Formats: sequence, C-alpha cells, structure tokens
Amino acid sequence: MVAEIGPSNIESAFLLEALKKGTRVDGRGIYDYRTLKISCGPTYGLAEVQLGQTRVLARVSCEVTRPFPDRPTEGIVLFNTELSSMAGFGLDSSRSSTQEVAISRMVERVIKQSRAIDSEALCILAGEKVWTIRIDVHFLDHGGNLIDAASIAAIAALKHFRRPDVTIDGEEAIIHDVRERNPVPLSIHHTPICVTFGFFGASGDMLVLDPTLLEEQVQVSSFTITLNSHREICALNKAGGIPLSPDQIQRCTQVALAKVDEVNEKIQLALKASTA
Amino acid sequence: MSRPDRREASQLRALNCSLGQLNRADGSAQFSAGNTSVVSGIYGPVEAKVYEEKLDRAVVEVKFRPDIGAPTTKDKWMESAIRNTFEREILTHLHPRTLVQIVIQLREGDGSVDSAAINATSLALVDAGIPLKCMITAATCAVLSDDTTVVDPTQEEIDAARSTHTFAFASGSSTGPLYVDSRGDFTMDEYNHCYDLCALATERVLAFMRTAIEGKVTKEAKISAA
Repeated sequence: MVAEIGPSNIESAFLLEALKKGTRVDGRGIYDYRTLKISCGPTYGLAEVQLGQTRVLARVSCEVTRPFPDRPTEGIVLFNTELSSMAGFGLDSSRSSTQEVAISRMVERVIKQSRAIDSEALCILAGEKVWTIRIDVHFLDHGGNLIDAASIAAIAALKHFRRPDVTIDGEEAIIHDVRERNPVPLSIHHTPICVTFGFFGASGDMLVLDPTLLEEQVQVSSFTITLNSHREICALNKAGGIPLSPDQIQRCTQVALAKVDEVNEKIQLALKASTA
Repeated sequence: MSRPDRREASQLRALNCSLGQLNRADGSAQFSAGNTSVVSGIYGPVEAKVYEEKLDRAVVEVKFRPDIGAPTTKDKWMESAIRNTFEREILTHLHPRTLVQIVIQLREGDGSVDSAAINATSLALVDAGIPLKCMITAATCAVLSDDTTVVDPTQEEIDAARSTHTFAFASGSSTGPLYVDSRGDFTMDEYNHCYDLCALATERVLAFMRTAIEGKVTKEAKISAA
C-alpha cells in the first residue's frame, strides 16, 4: 500500500455518471444518511459514533481550575480534535492539512460559539474556581464526512457526561467524591448537529447528503449547516468551492431540518440505553 | 483484604475484544479488561519514507494516543516500550524497506493500560496479517500496602499500591519475558511472585485471544464458503 493518491479517473467518472441518474455508488438516495450507530459509556462522557465507515470517539472530562481573568464567573471549555494516523495512513496531527484544520475548527465552533454549554453554570467560586470541561475527539476511521460524525459524538458525549456535585457554603466550596454523591450532568442549552452536503458537476447542480470518502474526493463544493432541535441555525459553513445559489442553500436547510430530528432521536436512544 | 470489585487476588477482569472493526486500517483490534479499553490500528507493510527505511527489514513505528489531553512524555515512553517489544517479534526481514505503523488509542483508562495496549496490538497484528514469531500477551500486577499481590489492578488499586509490575511474554516460549516494567518499592521475592502470577495470567489472556481469533477465522471461512 502506498500513500493516498486519490480516486482514479474511472472511479470519479463512474460516480458522476451514477449521480446524473440519481443514484450513489453505495446505493443510497441523495438525501440518505449512512447507518448511524451511537454508543455511550460505560465511563461518563465517552461516546463512539459510527457513520457508515467513519468512526469517531469523543471523550469529555473535567477539572477544577482558575477562570480567565476577564471572565471570572464563567467556566472554560477546551477542545482537542486530533486526526490521528489510525483514521488513514498519512494522516498525522502534527502536519495538519487545511482540510483537517477546518474540521477541527468547525467542530469546536459548533459547540463553543453556539453556546451549547452553559458556562456560567460551571462556576464554583467566582474569580477563583471554575470547571474546565475538556472535549477530546479522536478520529478512528476516515470514511468521509468527519464533521457530522464528530459533532454527533461530541454532543452525545457532553450529554452523557457527569461532573462531581458541588456544594457552596459561603466562601467555601465542597466538591463531593462521585462515590459519596451522584455526579450531575452538564447544563446544555441546546443540541447543535452538523449536516454536510457535497456538490458535484460544473455548476454544482448535483448534491448529496453525508458524502463518503470517495464522494468527498470528487466533490467540487461542500456545505455544512448546523441546526438544533429548536429549528435554529447555529452555523453555516461554506469555505471555497463552486459558488452555490440561495435556492440550493434553502433546499439543503429544509432537508437538514428533517435529518437533525432523526439524529437527535438516535442520540436520545443511545443515552437511554447507556443508563439502562 | 477484599478488592473493591470483589475479585480474587489472581482474577482478571472481564476480557472483551473485537477484531477488524476499522475499514481504513489494514488490521485493528479493540481489547478491554473491565473499564480499561484500548483500540489498536495497524498499517502495514506500507511504504516507508526514504530517510527512515531499512534495507533489510521493515521499520516499526508506534503511536500512542491518550484518552484525555494531548500526548505527554508518559505516552512517548509507552510508544518506545511497545515498539521495542514488538520489533523483535515481527518478522521484519520478510518485508524490507517497508513500514509497519502501529497506532494505539486509549478509549478508557482504569489501570493496567500498558498490558491492554500490548494485548490489543498483538490481536491487531494478527488481524492485519503481519507475520509474527509468536503472540505477545501481557498482564499487570500490583503489590498493595498490606503486602498482598493482585492481578490486573484498577487505577484505584494502582494509586494505593507500593509497587506495580507489568510483564509481557511470548506465547509458547519458555524463555524470559519480552517486556518488564516495574515501578515502586519492592523486594526480589515480591518481584518473583508477581512474575509467576503474571505468567499465569498471560496464559489465560492467550487462551482468550485464541478463542477470539478462531471465532473470527471460522466466521470468515463460512462467509467465503457460502
């Protein structure tokens, strides 16, 4: 095996021909997700997502630290998304390509900047002690569409996580051991889920939802929309590629709304199954 | 003194493994002992970089990623220890000028992580079809403050132990261990006792691995025959 060369001309031509007829190489409809499997636990804050051949692991942990001086009443949320060599030979976190960096930034933005986690609820003693929540996303298998899988894994892990309970007694805070008092969940405002589309053809007129690795390599444009279950748009991401019309964006948004509900249901089921 | 999870002193936690779950990697295995869970992915034999290739054998590279946080020197140590252990047992002379890349991801750590990593890597190498001299199996022992010795300690037991010892043995070999990591305050008698306990424990791990691999090979044979 040699380092990744990219798809052959025959493969790309076949994929495009099939798309013109409305079929995808793996037999899916253009708006179909691959099989999505989410498993949480047993450790609190561990979630593994398998989306087709893509596999992502997210791990949430917490630590008591000092807050940032300019935000004394807010907790801190740290992100680490590493595209390790396990996901694909030649992929290496120390030599991140622009694409890999984009994935990391996207997942981080989606959770942090959409204010999914209530950071004020992470405060223990203002100006002195706050919770730092750390989210580590590990990519185990790159089968295409890492962003969607990573966002699902991260939010599932956050919802599954339990931090030690704290009692405030005036100027003192008592952090209870998890064996003395049941740990408590994080305060999560809403559940942002990313939905990614790939576009093909000279004018980007053919599109697919949840591209596989081959589709990602052939696509001329990519568009990710992040929605939550309250039908709010948390983020839109279209970085470069063929220009798209507002109609296409609208169509994608409508499709994504339906998909996000399905994904949310699956996350709920996985969370319930882990505590059963 | 009974153990927190009510195990016997020489009892391993429940072992679990699954082979070939990853699509991109040439071989992979997930191995877990209780709440310690490790995934190992293998790429190999693949093209080595010109500056690191060896003319008469394959180069073995190991990457170890912790579950939480960025890799630290502890993880670098683990990488080099695992590489040294497996380099000798992989038949590298069969694949000159290539690279065998072992990537290990810790999913959950609850003690005895190094032995889980070694066990997962052994299974993953078999799944990848990399030729090996033998299977390498590992087990960890801890000597507690009341002088009892326990096998496959959890993190809680390790934190309270006076010394911990990890041994890795080559299957079917009567020679000494391939890998030894002893930390703490201990006497030679305690060390020898741990050695014996780990040797017995690794036999059980090997039997478990054999069942897992046999199961997978039989299933594959059925699929290809059908």
